[in-house]
Amino acid sequence: MVDALGEVHRVLAPGGILVDARPDSRVPAYAKRRKPRGFQRFGVVKTSRPELANDRASDRAIAHVVREGLFKRRRRGRFWHLVPFSSLAELRNYLSEHLRFVHRADWVVDAATRKRHSNDHFVIRRAVRYELLEALRSARNINKKGNVIQL
Amino acid sequence: MSTVAANSVGDLGRHIPALSSALRPGALDELREWGGPALVRGKRVLDLGCGDGRFALGVAPFATRVDGIDPYPEAIAAAKRNARRAGVRNVRFATGAAQHLPHPDATFDVVILSWTL
Repeated sequence: MVDALGEVHRVLAPGGILVDARPDSRVPAYAKRRKPRGFQRFGVVKTSRPELANDRASDRAIAHVVREGLFKRRRRGRFWHLVPFSSLAELRNYLSEHLRFVHRADWVVDAATRKRHSNDHFVIRRAVRYELLEALRSARNINKKGNVIQL
Repeated sequence: MSTVAANSVGDLGRHIPALSSALRPGALDELREWGGPALVRGKRVLDLGCGDGRFALGVAPFATRVDGIDPYPEAIAAAKRNARRAGVRNVRFATGAAQHLPHPDATFDVVILSWTL
């Protein structure tokens, strides 16, 4: 990953912007039932261990290139994304086959409630985080006299 | 924070990278969260891990030029198809790896890693 970020730095003009956006595995996702107005929380969906490890590796790679002076952190934030499903069964199928999440939700409603609403519309509400980083002139862009080489 | 909804996804995106964009926020929704069209307006943009071109095609109307790179040939084929269908002319897609980009130094003003890193 650090190699890829080094390449990104090479092809970016100094002052250029790198945007890193991905699901925020530090925040649990929620399975929710759509109501006429708003949502009812049905369960919590955790991120799978391999994905957590991948995300941590990505965080380390970003931290490394910032430490090395290739990039400067400019701004970060988070927003919510809804993945819609036409029934509870469809949501369950998605969870059972999708690699990012653990394969079962931790339900916060009882079985009878899940059965009663099984044909309602559902969503998985998950957090997406992003960070904007500015490409800095690095040592390789500076000649022996200490002048910045115009790219 | 805002909430971004998408259409029902069914089976899309579970196994086929080129179709996985159906599970993601729309390009303009993401762009708005990052600061809006000003981020890419008049800029040269590289979309790394572009998949089927979801983001590249979404921001193309604002950018001078958009390049999309993805390691999956099927994804690039889908992206080219989508670009032809949308009539977008300032976008180029190519198969490639992020570790060995085929571009000269300082080619781009903005590089996007959307759900890639």
